[in-house]
Amino acid sequence: MDNNTFILSKKVINISLIMIAIGLISLAYGYFGGLGAGRIAANILMNTFYFLGIALIGLFFVAVHAIAESGWQVSVQRIGEAMSRFIPVGGILLLALFSLGGLSSLYEWTHTEHLDAILLKKVGYLNVPFFMIRFFIYFAGWIILAWLIRKTSLKLDVDGDKFYFNRLRTVSAIFIVFYAVTSVTSSFDWLMSIDAHWFSTLYGWYVFSSMLASGTAVIIILLYVLKRMGYMTHVNAEHVHDLGKYLFGFSIFWAYLWFSQYMLIWYANIPEETVYFYTRLKYFNTIFFLNLVLNLAVPLLVLMTRNSKRMFAVLLPVSAVVFIGHWIDMYQIVMPGVVGKEAGIGLLEIGLTVGYAGLFILVFFHSLSKAPLVPKNHPYFKESIEYHTNY
Amino acid sequence: MYVSPIREPLIKGNKDYSQVTRDIMAPMAGKPSKYWYMGMALAGAAALMGAWASYETVFNGIGTWGLNKTIGWAWDITNFVWWVGIGHAGTFISAILLLFRQKWRTSINRSAEAMTLIAIACAGFFPLIHMGRLLLGFFIFPYPNTRDLWVNFNSPLLWDVFAITTYFLVSLVFWYVGLIPDIGTVRDKAKNKIRKAIYGFLSFGWTGSARHWSRHETISLVLAGLAAPLVLSVHTIVSFDFATSVIPGWHTTIFPPYFVSGAIFSGFAMVLTLLIVARKALNLEDYITINHIESMNKIIILTGSIVGIAYLTEFFIAWYSGVEYEQYAFFNRAFGPYAWAYWIMMTCNVITPQLFWFKKIRTSLIATFIISIFVNIGMWFERFVIVVTSLHRDYLPSSWSMYKPTLVEVGLYIGTLGLFFTLFLLFIRVFPVIAIAEVKSVLKSSGEHQKHAHHE
Amino acid sequence: MSKFISAYYHDEEDLIKGVRQIRNQGIEPADVRTPFPVHGLDKAMGMKRSRLTRVAFAGGAIGGLIGFFFQAWVFTVAYPINFGGKPFFAVPSFMPVTFEMTVLFAAFSMVIAFFIHNKLGPGAKTIIYDEQVTDDRFQILIEADDLDEPEQQRIEKALKEAGAQGIQLTS
Repeated sequence: MDNNTFILSKKVINISLIMIAIGLISLAYGYFGGLGAGRIAANILMNTFYFLGIALIGLFFVAVHAIAESGWQVSVQRIGEAMSRFIPVGGILLLALFSLGGLSSLYEWTHTEHLDAILLKKVGYLNVPFFMIRFFIYFAGWIILAWLIRKTSLKLDVDGDKFYFNRLRTVSAIFIVFYAVTSVTSSFDWLMSIDAHWFSTLYGWYVFSSMLASGTAVIIILLYVLKRMGYMTHVNAEHVHDLGKYLFGFSIFWAYLWFSQYMLIWYANIPEETVYFYTRLKYFNTIFFLNLVLNLAVPLLVLMTRNSKRMFAVLLPVSAVVFIGHWIDMYQIVMPGVVGKEAGIGLLEIGLTVGYAGLFILVFFHSLSKAPLVPKNHPYFKESIEYHTNY
Repeated sequence: MYVSPIREPLIKGNKDYSQVTRDIMAPMAGKPSKYWYMGMALAGAAALMGAWASYETVFNGIGTWGLNKTIGWAWDITNFVWWVGIGHAGTFISAILLLFRQKWRTSINRSAEAMTLIAIACAGFFPLIHMGRLLLGFFIFPYPNTRDLWVNFNSPLLWDVFAITTYFLVSLVFWYVGLIPDIGTVRDKAKNKIRKAIYGFLSFGWTGSARHWSRHETISLVLAGLAAPLVLSVHTIVSFDFATSVIPGWHTTIFPPYFVSGAIFSGFAMVLTLLIVARKALNLEDYITINHIESMNKIIILTGSIVGIAYLTEFFIAWYSGVEYEQYAFFNRAFGPYAWAYWIMMTCNVITPQLFWFKKIRTSLIATFIISIFVNIGMWFERFVIVVTSLHRDYLPSSWSMYKPTLVEVGLYIGTLGLFFTLFLLFIRVFPVIAIAEVKSVLKSSGEHQKHAHHE
Repeated sequence: MSKFISAYYHDEEDLIKGVRQIRNQGIEPADVRTPFPVHGLDKAMGMKRSRLTRVAFAGGAIGGLIGFFFQAWVFTVAYPINFGGKPFFAVPSFMPVTFEMTVLFAAFSMVIAFFIHNKLGPGAKTIIYDEQVTDDRFQILIEADDLDEPEQQRIEKALKEAGAQGIQLTS
């Protein structure tokens, strides 16, 4: 493994800069083309949240495996760590959105001058100062813990000291606990409060499961890209198989939560609750069903066999489908509440997503070049390399 | 397969394969101990009380229970959900931990799964007895009949019929398929003819052929893949019994995953309660080590914390929703006439398991045993709180009421506890409590002696 | 009843080496019997992956389809009745039973196929050549019915060279 250092090539930088440029151009098009503040804000929110979620799942991946003491993931651990570097970037973008007038175009409850009776009851939680305080708490926690996990992981790589091994587990446990609470409340804050009258207790976990599936898809895609560049040669079909199983399992888990939320609201048929699905089925019919096809039917049917989870030839297209599928899920979460039936997928939506992807790639590869690609001194490194299972 | 030296061994002592066979089969040999008879007597007495209570219920009717027109569902459904929940650990251990390649499962999966099957049998007793006319219990299945009726597929109670039946059957098959090679071992070790013939019959003619093993592994894996979503579906559907209604405190979307998590939480607590006693009584401390206990305690923290977050989410959304009925339901839970039950639940389920964050506590047998009992109690009260506090005060204050169980109802519950322990004690004598073949298959990589030899 | 040359090992790694070695000499074991599933043995014996998973898939598909369409038939054709204002063809309501039927049929069809394929079952007549096999012995069986004397000696020699113990004729 001579290629244990990732070199950030000019080509990568150029590609990502072009993608970012596309994003900026589409944003300018949206602004000058008169698409409306609501649609622009909704696009920024949706994409920031989507890529922020993927970054958080990268960190979650590292943390959860550290406390579960699993061995196989050590060889792909750096991918998760590097993904988490996008968290502060996402924070800055969200802060920019919220401070540059995004709040009033996104959230009905910020218009304090004409709140209805129901929203008046929620003012204790849905008010701008408290909203921003929570925002800073989430990001302070995430950024500090991401930094601690990364730092500990790098120190562990120096000589595999048991002290740092245990410290990594402790820090990871703290992150998991903090994230368990904040992942729920942050999606209540930023997404559920768009439809401010509506509520669902499952919502936070539903959004989390969506991020889990898309985050795993991104890990698989990035692993493939790195292998194509000639890195990560030690990663074999067994590792890919495990990631494939995750993608398969998380897709089913997402569908399970989707069904639980939808079925219970459909069954009880209480107007306060059904209003959410009513607009989505009426004005976003195609998106609504496409969501299920891309995120459940495709991974379920294609990844059922063992071989399809082990071959990039199959797994990569499925990951791409899931990645797009959960983007669409995010679209149907954000758009109906902010833009309503005028929403559509045009140059702004696609171009801006390309821009965000470019930014994400740039941050990711930049971070990857800062440390050895594989933590060779991790106590479980050998386990991860000599890795073969019967299933 | 390489295993890092920093991992603790899963099996203590200097064992070879033959020693493993002898150790695990020891509890089945000879005459049962004095403690076994004492346990049997106690469990039998409890089961007798259940028999009396069943007699009262069937011959005098459901009127012997403490139900009234507001609270038409209380003790029976609480116990049903509690037992189903306990029945979740076994299949979780043998299916989900198998998929996650947690090797420590091999020492506990057999007994946990037996516990699952017995717990489901106990759970199934409550819906049957609450029908009042036990002999007509088969009406719940869709079959062509002279009444020209079909069952209501829109009803979550019917989904329950399918879910519990499927869960019991698939768990039974999963357990038995895993048991077959070990029954073969018992057969080949049997000294007398009758014993050999019985176990020979039960072993399905197992030979240990490599081809059979290879297919056995394949089907175990697929069964695990099928059982994993099945475990989730069972308690999900149980939660639908409540969540599809429009009763405040019942109708909330978080119920499915929250019930599943609570079920695994309570199931692990019961496994710990049983195994901490069993490992000592059966001299299996080398197989069910402190590491096993610690791993189970970690799952208790995980699932307990998920349950805790779900409690908080429910409470928060009840306020956030602005629906006054929801708000009252939760206020009433915490500060109403059943507040004592609510706070028992909160203490046992949310606070005590958090003590497991301390390594000292989660590696202490006594502390684990006490906390596991707390969790069992807490999870019983969770179901009681959900069922009774939501029903006794809903939309119409004029029909508010209170519920108190009668001796007959208590007798039914004690009866199922008796049945549970009777069957478990029988299981210990009849089948190997630890999967012998599975332990042997991890001995090389995770046995204490073998591990050290490997690295020197 | 057929005769076999039987030999055994005490350790699974020696067994795998032994099986490889005798197969390289063109001796195909009729059966290898072990106390637990030995990883890597299927490769050494040149076994193919089991196709029982396909049975499970087919069984599951059949169960799921029966479950779904039976409910649909009951509610739209045989016995349409209004429950709480729900549509007769209430797809979300059908999902739980459909799922359970899928799992039930998949599991049972596969397990039944497993028993039939292996000729195992309640009271199945199989011959145990060595009762230690379910304890700590790893046994190789080679068919010896049509073997002449020199061929039999060649096999026994090969087994001995491959480190096997207790080489004998059994029936």
